[in-house]
Amino acid sequence: MKPALRRAVLLGPATLWIGLFLVLPLTLMAYVSTLERGPSGGVLWDRHSADAYLQFLFERDLMDRLVLNTDYLHIFARSILLAGVTTLLTLAVGFPTALWMAFQSERLRLVLVFVVTVPFWTNILVRNYAWMLILRTGGTLDWLLTALHLPGPPLEILYTPWATGIGLTYSFLPYMILPIFVSLEKIDRRLIEAAYDLGADRWRVLARVILPLTAPGLAGGAILVFIPGLGAFISPELLGGAKSMMIGGLIQQQFGQSRNWPFGAALAFVLLAMVLLALWAHALRYRRERADE
Amino acid sequence: MRADALWRFPGARSVALAAVAFLYLPIVVLVLLSFSDGDSLAEWSGVSLRWYREVFDNADMQRAIRNSLVVACTATLLATVAATMAALVLARGQFRGKRAMEALLGLPLVVPEIVGGIAILMFFVLVGIRLGIVSIVLAHTVFVTPFAYLPIRARLDGLNPAFAEAAADLYAGPVRAFLRVTLPLIWPGIAAGAMLAFIGSLGDVVVSYFVSGPGATTLPVYIFSMVRMGVTPMVNAVSSLLLFISLALLTVSYLLGRRYASN
Amino acid sequence: MSGPFAIDCRGLVKTFAGGSVRALDGVSLSIRENEFFTLLGPSGCGKTTLLRLIAGFEQQDAGEIDLHGERLDHLPPYKRPVNTVFQSYAVFPHLTVAENVAFGLEMKRLPRADIAARVMAMLTLVKLDGLGSRRPTQLSGGQQQRVALARALATAPKVLLLDEPLSALDLKLRTDMQIELKRLQSEVGITFVFVTHDQHEALTMSDRIAVMNHGRVLQIGTPEDVYERPTSRFVADFIGETNLLAAEPAGPGLFRLAGGDILQAEPAAASAIAVTLGIRPERAELCASAEGILRGRVEHISYMGTDTTYHLRLTDSGLFRVRTQNRDGALVRVRLGDAVGVRFPPAAVRLLDE
Ligand SMILES: Nc1ncnc2c1ncn2[C@@H]1O[C@H](COP(=O)(O)OP(=O)(O)OP(=O)(O)O)[C@@H](O)[C@H]1O
Ligand SMILES: [Mg+2]
Repeated sequence: MKPALRRAVLLGPATLWIGLFLVLPLTLMAYVSTLERGPSGGVLWDRHSADAYLQFLFERDLMDRLVLNTDYLHIFARSILLAGVTTLLTLAVGFPTALWMAFQSERLRLVLVFVVTVPFWTNILVRNYAWMLILRTGGTLDWLLTALHLPGPPLEILYTPWATGIGLTYSFLPYMILPIFVSLEKIDRRLIEAAYDLGADRWRVLARVILPLTAPGLAGGAILVFIPGLGAFISPELLGGAKSMMIGGLIQQQFGQSRNWPFGAALAFVLLAMVLLALWAHALRYRRERADE
Repeated sequence: MRADALWRFPGARSVALAAVAFLYLPIVVLVLLSFSDGDSLAEWSGVSLRWYREVFDNADMQRAIRNSLVVACTATLLATVAATMAALVLARGQFRGKRAMEALLGLPLVVPEIVGGIAILMFFVLVGIRLGIVSIVLAHTVFVTPFAYLPIRARLDGLNPAFAEAAADLYAGPVRAFLRVTLPLIWPGIAAGAMLAFIGSLGDVVVSYFVSGPGATTLPVYIFSMVRMGVTPMVNAVSSLLLFISLALLTVSYLLGRRYASN
Repeated sequence: MSGPFAIDCRGLVKTFAGGSVRALDGVSLSIRENEFFTLLGPSGCGKTTLLRLIAGFEQQDAGEIDLHGERLDHLPPYKRPVNTVFQSYAVFPHLTVAENVAFGLEMKRLPRADIAARVMAMLTLVKLDGLGSRRPTQLSGGQQQRVALARALATAPKVLLLDEPLSALDLKLRTDMQIELKRLQSEVGITFVFVTHDQHEALTMSDRIAVMNHGRVLQIGTPEDVYERPTSRFVADFIGETNLLAAEPAGPGLFRLAGGDILQAEPAAASAIAVTLGIRPERAELCASAEGILRGRVEHISYMGTDTTYHLRLTDSGLFRVRTQNRDGALVRVRLGDAVGVRFPPAAVRLLDE
């Protein structure tokens, strides 16, 4: 009985804390999403309704009929698209970067990991704000283009989905590089030498040996970029402007101007479900891969 | 073909250098502009510390900085202690519910910040916890616990269990064995975990944005509202400050890590 | 009966993985005071598990352990007056050599002056004088091993448990340390329980050996006992080489082999229908085919410097090895393919349990 008691005491604080201030709130959120919205914001605790979920697809017209409304679907589609594009872009940049890093001397590798980790840990708000300075009309980029005598119309990138894409790619690039790097570093160098020895050229070594062995890192990086990309709030808020809202902004709106808690909770719940689904798919695949070995 | 050419892939180097430049360029631009003298946000006009001075003369800003530090210190302390205790159990032995516990400790990393933020907000409103420093600390502790937990757990996993057994074998009771042997040996992990928790709490915007009250905001939330409402170059200065703090902490933890690694 | 024993184990059972692995399956043994007692057995037979039960790092599922006649098994490890020398040494890397040696003494809250004196004495004992302020990372494997030894001996435990303490050392250092350990044991007069899977180490160092397999103790005895008078097929085969012959009883002291040959063995109560006979290769000798108890052809000859082993294919198609010392140089008259006989005295034939 004693080890069990010790375990309970040591695990207690963390469990209680996360249970009380995360699991319970999430449960509450799921509950709120099934409630009716209060007349002046808030919720009616005793009135259940599916309105929040209906609102996602339909709106009531003047005759109180449900009409299809694709505005919110658009926002979801945009979020998925932007998160997907971000994943692909970071992959395209991250893999060669990690590849180069992985084959440097040990000293240099340590330094490079540090170099990539620093942006990872610096404030995401600050980093996105820096892009505002660069991309805004009359900003650094504009100034640079003028200084280089590349005349053209003033830049109008800021407050478009393009700016959001840049911000997301920038924010999450280290999330892609690091797991790929870890996978690459773990590859037994002798496997690569063996492949060369057996007559493979560089590209075939890359395609037939390195890439397959890096699969877990690639998958891990993809999930680490896609998931926070989907729920991103800062980048679209600062760089995207009103016309390229993502799910995060939409949720926030329900707790701000719209004062529609049930809808906000429902949206958050759907987002959470999507994230868990993505994680589950990843775990499933990864487990199968491990079982294959 | 030279032997080391086997490990080179054409183009990889260029992409890598470009990626590093891409990662650092905005940061450099921001820091440079923070030293600019002019009133313009994004145009250079002479070096000065003018905006830093403004930051330190601004009472609201100072309050936000103080709040941020208080929150980050408290949340770090709570999260690190809880995470260390949990890691001590989860790193050793098998028992029922272990997987579930590990999943629970990883949950804050998985839940999108915006979802966590609004869920905790609704919870606080319902339970009647006033939004302010306390509510921010409560929420931050949840979200930085995994940051603290992971390095500590990694350190414990890498630790030969024979050390703790040797201590017990030599007449050290559980408490003294922990204080004299386990703690010194996992100390780098705890320091790294605390550092990451601190940086995480200090930098958080989204969760704080929802659970901070009108009276008490943290620095990032304050910056966030400044950026949205209309920016003065003061934002450049205070953002750079935030950057310097994180950078300093990261460098310290990197150097510490290297010292331990070489030992 | 438990009085004179340093350690007395009765019916120890320990299972892992929810009962699916029986690491110890009813182990009983009694270790005398000041004895150099060795646990010998193949990998995975439960040696480490038995030591860990005695030290208190694991709790047995069933059975009892006494130390000098007093029940030990309800005490946590830090209250048991036994110390362990770990296979991985487990010398604390964050403490100096002297601090490592002082650790147990500090935990026992001895006065500072006593601790310092004791540490000095211990370092001298293991020949590490002057290295007290070093860090373990600045020591060689052999030196770390001595620190572990000094640390475990410092508190003068009643029993010292050593789990393959020499396995990480190279051959030369290992031989030195074997002698050193024996010297230490006689100097400090402490009971040593020593784990190894190296039969030579066990034979040269031990007062008594317990041979284990699959979580059971098969035989306990002096090195001579277990080598010359193995009681089971496993012990005969694991320690040294043995020719194993299947046979059935054919009268008092007589056994019939599969090929029909009759062997004479030392009188032993043999009621079993089928038995295994064991004959050490060095107890047999080659002779002319007609004079042999067994006959066969030489299939392979391995020359090993001090002696030569002849591998014979017997007429009943069994295998038999004969080892002869190369006393007269390489004057070998027997060649591959020769038909030869084998003979041995009845006393060389052991009747073995399965
Ligand atoms: N903690 C554990 N969990 C599960 N099985 C274990 C554990 N410890 C030991 N075992 C199993 O118990 C059996 C005995 O292990 P033990 O370590 O005692 O063997 P050993 O004789 O010391 O072997 P070696 O010579 O390799 O050190 C083995 O089958 C081992 O796999
Ligand atoms: Mg062992």
